Amino acid sequence: MQNRDRSEAEVAIAPRSDPAQEHEAVLIGRIRGGETELFYELIRPYERRVFVIAFTILRNEEDAEDAAQDAFLKAFKHLGQFRSESRFSTWLIQVAINEARLRQRKSHLEIMRPIEDKENEDGTYTPHDFTDWREIPSEALERKEIREKLVAALASLAQKYREVFVLRDVEHMSIEDTAQALGISAGAVKTRLLRARLMLRDLLSPGLEGIWVSHSQIPKGTKPWS
Amino acid sequence: MVVKCDDVWREISNYLDGDLDPAAKQALEEHLAQCAECQSVRDGMRNVVELYGDKAMFQLPAGFHPRLRDRLTDQVEGRKISRRAWLVSIGVTGALAASAVLAAALDHFVPQPLSEMSQPARRLPQRLVAVVDSGKLFHVPGCPFMHGKYHMVTPEEAVREGYTPCTRCMPEALRSAGKVTPDFQGEEIVSSETEGQ
Repeated sequence: MQNRDRSEAEVAIAPRSDPAQEHEAVLIGRIRGGETELFYELIRPYERRVFVIAFTILRNEEDAEDAAQDAFLKAFKHLGQFRSESRFSTWLIQVAINEARLRQRKSHLEIMRPIEDKENEDGTYTPHDFTDWREIPSEALERKEIREKLVAALASLAQKYREVFVLRDVEHMSIEDTAQALGISAGAVKTRLLRARLMLRDLLSPGLEGIWVSHSQIPKGTKPWS
Repeated sequence: MVVKCDDVWREISNYLDGDLDPAAKQALEEHLAQCAECQSVRDGMRNVVELYGDKAMFQLPAGFHPRLRDRLTDQVEGRKISRRAWLVSIGVTGALAASAVLAAALDHFVPQPLSEMSQPARRLPQRLVAVVDSGKLFHVPGCPFMHGKYHMVTPEEAVREGYTPCTRCMPEALRSAGKVTPDFQGEEIVSSETEGQ
């Protein structure tokens, strides 16, 4: 949370004066000038992000790695089309999303879309689990089965929710950059993010060996309005 | 401002992102303070955000870096090699062109004998020439200044045998071949009319 807030603040203050962005601008200029070996240095900070968004869409490690590689190569090939008024990272994510979606269409994975995709995202999502969540131990994610459970829960969401959730909460991109990367409005980002967070919360409420929930359901009749 | 649970659920995400105005935030917090279910929603969502936001959540597959590096090296560095090869080819072509220009320049500036007559072998026409047996000149066949019996030889043979070019027909022949200098004009016009006589 703090990380995301900080990054948003930085974006809001002066994205053009960001030293990292300035360094990227220099690198891009030199690559366009023929120093192509610098391309790896340019994309190195975004390897994980590109892979994660490809994995989010394709839900398969091998396909995601292939898509990520293709995305990087397309980014290199079309680097001349990048316009400096946007962030290179956002442009790169757009390339990666397009590549993953293209691969998805080719492999007919879209027939596996979850039912939620057909829901009206403007409709209110009502939480249905009111388990008492406890603070999560910091070492929880060291356990592979916990990570797998979280990945499975995320994979069960409709793609439009997965994409927004991953860019915002996994990759800590700002609302504006997320909207630009996905080609949707900031309002749509907020709406989808709310639903994704609420659905994941419900999916994970059963917990895993009591790691983050106490299984002590709130007794009926304690709600102030009941 | 009266806040219901529905209101909290609708704004809880914005609340966690710090994206509420102060009045809405205060009203929502007042509701949260007395609603255990909404506290569960808030705490659960906060944990979800923290869990997935942890860098340990998603990790690159083993060997991702070297595989990507290899592919980029093949495709991106390969372009670099092509570019270098292109630059080398341009350089070689340029060097060859420069050599040709230099050679032409040297050829131009090498001191040449003033008289065309002094360098017959280099400036001779490439076709056969006619020599009159009793004469001293060689001619373009049909030269009006040639009289008597003649036979055809190569210019080199004519020169080797001691013949010199006819100054009437040969300058014209050489000029049409683009190989005569203006100073050749008017020289050695003597006695051509008597050739073969």
